[in-house]
Amino acid sequence: MRFWFRKRAKPDRPGFDEIMPPEGVPLYFEIATFGVRFGAQLVDILITSLAAIALLLFLGSIGLSKPGSMMAIASMLFFLIRIPYYVVTELLWNGQTLGKRMVKIKVIASKSGSLTAQSLVVRNLMKEAEIFLPGTLLLTINATTPIWSLISLAWITGVMAVPLMSRRSQRLGDMIAGTFVIHLPKPILLKDLALASKASVPTKSKFTFLAHHLDHYGAFELQTLEDLLRADVRAYNASTAQRRKSTVDAVVKQIRKKIDFADKVLPSENIEFLSAFYNAQRAFLEQRQLFGDKRTNKRHAQEKDNKTNSMEKEKS
Amino acid sequence: MSDQSDIMRSARFRAERETDWRKLEALTAKAEKQGLNRMSFAEARDLASLYRRSTTALSIARQISLDRALLRYLEALTSRAYLSVYAPQERLGGLLRRFLTQGAPQAMRRSWAFILIGFLCMALGAIAGYFLFFENASWFHVFMPPEMAGGRGPDSSTEQLRSVIYDNDPDVNGLGAFATLLFSHNTRIAIFVFGLGAFLCVPAILLTFYNGLLLGAFYALHVERGLGLDLAGWLSIHGVTELSAICIACGGGVQLGAAVLFPGQRTRGDALRDAGRDAVKLALVAAIMLIAAALLEGFGRQLIQDRTARFVIGWGVGALWLSWFVFAGRKRS
Repeated sequence: MRFWFRKRAKPDRPGFDEIMPPEGVPLYFEIATFGVRFGAQLVDILITSLAAIALLLFLGSIGLSKPGSMMAIASMLFFLIRIPYYVVTELLWNGQTLGKRMVKIKVIASKSGSLTAQSLVVRNLMKEAEIFLPGTLLLTINATTPIWSLISLAWITGVMAVPLMSRRSQRLGDMIAGTFVIHLPKPILLKDLALASKASVPTKSKFTFLAHHLDHYGAFELQTLEDLLRADVRAYNASTAQRRKSTVDAVVKQIRKKIDFADKVLPSENIEFLSAFYNAQRAFLEQRQLFGDKRTNKRHAQEKDNKTNSMEKEKS
Repeated sequence: MSDQSDIMRSARFRAERETDWRKLEALTAKAEKQGLNRMSFAEARDLASLYRRSTTALSIARQISLDRALLRYLEALTSRAYLSVYAPQERLGGLLRRFLTQGAPQAMRRSWAFILIGFLCMALGAIAGYFLFFENASWFHVFMPPEMAGGRGPDSSTEQLRSVIYDNDPDVNGLGAFATLLFSHNTRIAIFVFGLGAFLCVPAILLTFYNGLLLGAFYALHVERGLGLDLAGWLSIHGVTELSAICIACGGGVQLGAAVLFPGQRTRGDALRDAGRDAVKLALVAAIMLIAAALLEGFGRQLIQDRTARFVIGWGVGALWLSWFVFAGRKRS
């Protein structure tokens, strides 16, 4: 648990959390946001209350419930359906209720290893005290009992504040159970740009880059260029295509200026130039990285200077 | 891929492993859809070994590749596979039986001190309420919300009070009554008492104490009119179970609160997680007891009009609960 007054070092990736599986390679999961979880919750409430209503109508039709006690029976049925619903669905579908499946989020254990039935029961029982009780209170608040209304309002704000303040946006139940909710990662393997360009240009590319050309940029710029090259051109209409063309023009111009590339580049060859540059730059940077020279962005030279300067200062 | 030496290292790395990844992707999708239980032995084995290989590939790719698309894919694939490989493997049937025969009674015995605190809160409240009422009867109105008293108070006649205790009102029987009673005052108190415990104990203790006050004042009102024993019978048929459930829920809440207040050498989150293990079992026990109490109250209380029979049933059920907590789930020596 983290309270607001206790500062903690910022994680490397905001919005992600690290899990260390037994295999020893850290994995990063994207923490589900409050709004998405609220949506999943709404779907689940809808499903369980529909089931409760159906059962109530059935009981009514065989004459077991009288109109007088309708509300009480309805709330009891809702209660008796929803408690096992959450636990059983999350246990059978590995941390997903129907609502969570719909919005593609999932409960996972915050320490490596599998979810246990214990933790699922805990987090869903606490949901009773955290969500449903304040929910019903909110519905029954009236002006005649100001003290109770104030207390329940404070309770609701308190409960809402906990996930907003916690790092993994955990509810209290999540904290007690040792779980948190993530967005399900989606594995999509795009074509390797290095291979794709080779296939389309069978002959050796006519642009050649030398070491001093490739010394300027780092991984960040390379990956930004990758995003630009990967943009799906077919999905564009006339105006966006025009905009992309001018962006590409500007990028080519900027790169040529920065790396001092003297050869001429025809406007029709812009993309070809960029992918050739991407290949050369990536091969160069990956090689540097293998030799222990990791360049995160274009300011790598300065950073290195600063580092050596400070080290020299320490020595003297 | 005609000329291997022509391709850069990271692209070659990808080309060599891509078929494995595709296979893992398909297996993961299958595991997510069907569950590990229904996969064949060969598939499950492949899933595990391909997953391990992909973790290795991921850690290499993080070092040698700058291809963001590849990194993203591998991260997502490995994460998905991790979630499928480490999926919960418990069955529902065994779970319930284990909870009833071992988990619950063992947890009750482990956290006896917290449950004692719960009972103490209630008892102190009841004693305070009892004496406060005799000091000044108007205290009754201070404690008791009017809808709970059901028209009973210091102003009502002895006959009125007696009629509520021994009254066979056919409208409040059966399923409807059961449902109403389950969601009456006491269940709400129990849920609150447990949930609020995590907020530093205080609300849980106060609420239980307040509930005791209600009980004490209510009892004092009847003692004053010479109906003490009759009320005790009326209350004990379900109250033994129900009030114990509230005390047990309070015990669970206090356990959570104590973990937040005094985490010891652990972080508060870890302490809360450890305490939650037993506290939730207490909450489940309390829930079972509350349902039993509602059954007793909804069907039993109005059917059984004899005072001694009420005492016998109420305390007999109480003794059954106690024997469950004390004797079940002990290891045979």
